[in-house]
Amino acid sequence: MPWNYSDKVLKLFMDAVKGETGTHMGELENPDGFGEHGSIVCGDTLRFTFRVERHPTDPTRDIITQARYLTFGCTSAIAASEALCILLEEQGKTPIEALQVSNQDLIDFLDGLPEQKIHCSVMGAEALQKAVADWASKRGVDLAELLPELAHGDEDEGRTVCNCFSVTEPYLRRKIKELGLQSIAEITNALKAGGGCTVCHHAPGGLQDLLDEIWGVKPVGQVEVAAPHTGEQLSPYRLGQQIETAIEAVVRPLLQDEDGDIELVDIKGHKIYCRLIGAANQSDAADQTFKLLVEQQLKDQVDDRLQVIAV
Amino acid sequence: MKNVYVDNNATTAIAPEVLAVMQPYLTSDYFNPSSMYDAARSSAEAIESARRTVARCLGDIDPDQIIFTGSATESNNAALFGTVQANPKRGHVITTTIEHPSVLEIGKELERRGQEVTFLSVDRNGELVLDDYVRALRSDTLVVSIMMANNETGVCYPVAELARIAKETDAEIVVHTDATQALGKLPVDLQDDLQHVDLLSFSGHKIHAPKGVGCLFVRRGTRWRPFMLGGHQEKGRRAGTENVPYIVGLAKACELAIAGVPDEQGRVRNLRDRLQKALIERIPAVEVNGKEAAVRLPNTLNLAFHGIEGEAILFELSRHGICASSGSACTSGTLDPSHVLKAMQVPFTAIHGSVRISLSRYNNQEDIERIIEVLPDIIARLRKLSPYWNDERNCLEI
Repeated sequence: MPWNYSDKVLKLFMDAVKGETGTHMGELENPDGFGEHGSIVCGDTLRFTFRVERHPTDPTRDIITQARYLTFGCTSAIAASEALCILLEEQGKTPIEALQVSNQDLIDFLDGLPEQKIHCSVMGAEALQKAVADWASKRGVDLAELLPELAHGDEDEGRTVCNCFSVTEPYLRRKIKELGLQSIAEITNALKAGGGCTVCHHAPGGLQDLLDEIWGVKPVGQVEVAAPHTGEQLSPYRLGQQIETAIEAVVRPLLQDEDGDIELVDIKGHKIYCRLIGAANQSDAADQTFKLLVEQQLKDQVDDRLQVIAV
Repeated sequence: MKNVYVDNNATTAIAPEVLAVMQPYLTSDYFNPSSMYDAARSSAEAIESARRTVARCLGDIDPDQIIFTGSATESNNAALFGTVQANPKRGHVITTTIEHPSVLEIGKELERRGQEVTFLSVDRNGELVLDDYVRALRSDTLVVSIMMANNETGVCYPVAELARIAKETDAEIVVHTDATQALGKLPVDLQDDLQHVDLLSFSGHKIHAPKGVGCLFVRRGTRWRPFMLGGHQEKGRRAGTENVPYIVGLAKACELAIAGVPDEQGRVRNLRDRLQKALIERIPAVEVNGKEAAVRLPNTLNLAFHGIEGEAILFELSRHGICASSGSACTSGTLDPSHVLKAMQVPFTAIHGSVRISLSRYNNQEDIERIIEVLPDIIARLRKLSPYWNDERNCLEI
């Protein structure tokens, strides 16, 4: 499908790739705040760093002066990273004020994002939150006290709901409420969860269950469970034993005399699948002769109904 | 700037020769081939002539076995659902994890409808393990559907041998193959090595005919029921007024494709090999997916770059007028990277950074040089932006 990015997204991306002056690609050394969101397994990562001008007495009045990012991701992920840095540097906010920058602010700054790319902006907001938390611990600021509603940190650890993108239940619960996500599609667009194998959509404790629980909808119905498959016919053990014995005693020595060999792959009913080695590099006719030789020996030794299939 | 089109496994340019033979049926000879008056005769004859041409191209087979459809996807649907319908007593299907969605999704649907489906996996080279296939065959196996060549990696599968093993196991097993990517690049002979194949699908738009026309070969005697009902066309095997101009175009494209196999195997292969070699020399940390496979389509080059994301690469290529595609999550409808590359266990650091370059008879040395000139720089620039790339040491760092 063709790209339907806004001009703003395209410009930010292209400037970043060209490394134009004024863009924010990079990683600050000894940053005052460091935050990373995503992973290479999931397909995008934002590593975000910022520096502040330190207030001599009150760390909560530090002002963000410099923001940098390194991003592994698509066009819009890189543009959203640029947007985040521009917003922060332009506005001269304190880290705590910066927490007010939401993914919606990034989307607005970018003149919109395609729905399935909303997660790129969420990634920006998440990395920022982590970086601010890092700054707070370095500067001895107690964020939990100042902003109790943001004190989640380690609480995002927990049961994994979406295995494809390693998304945990606590994180999902928090983001579903924070972003007001109403459907599985909205969750996938914003958080990527459920965008892979889709098993977690309707599994017990899966995305639909979480949505129902959070928004108070009753489960619509049970997902049907496939009936277990009943076993197929067994291969005749005795026959298999006899075939193996015959191969060892008669067929293999015969083939080895001709610089060949045989490898038994499988037996199904009276059909014997084997790899005839050494007959290779010869003509198709020679292959055929080899096969017939083996087949005749096994018929003579074991059972007249046996058939050899070369694999 | 002229575009360099290297996405020929997605679709191809219409050949001028194809357009020329279609023209009369788009203008003066617009009649319904089923009509009785004299004027409609040429339309009806054009279809039968096209059928003979296609039959000749597939190994000089009896033309009655050729059914024209709307696409390869339709052909695959007709092949598989039609076979299941005609054989209600059997309940097992064998296919692979690397099929095109038009087979893979049917496999999943058949599973939901109560069939048992074995999806054979592939190894790191993208190849099937023959022993797994042998072990998968069962007394109630109904159909085996395995593609001739993969659209993403170009890895080819030994369909002739797989079909023979199936038939030697049980003559009633129906063998289907999707030959969409193979036709015109590999020999396709239904009387010779593919004599055990019962159903074969392909489409027009991968061989320089327009989109919207396909073909299904159904070997005489195959237990199969029509999928599209509602008319007597194609002897009742595919209802719907025949798309005369496109069918005529498809036949011409088939002729050109068969004649073009030596060019694909020679000149196009050399272009691809030159491109592959040059890019590997210039770009560190890149995987060539399917490189070690015994047989690979001569026109396809699937690369996976460590530490960067495929959509951003495509975007940059596009700005330089180069049209390619990617197995990256960001370019598909889902958020997952390509099911084919996943099945091949492409490393997680590279699977998001894949790019597919697929050539055709219309590509030349100049196109290749353009890509060689542009792509290494794009990769380097995107890696500068990536947190997983150490620019000083020029290597991946996690």
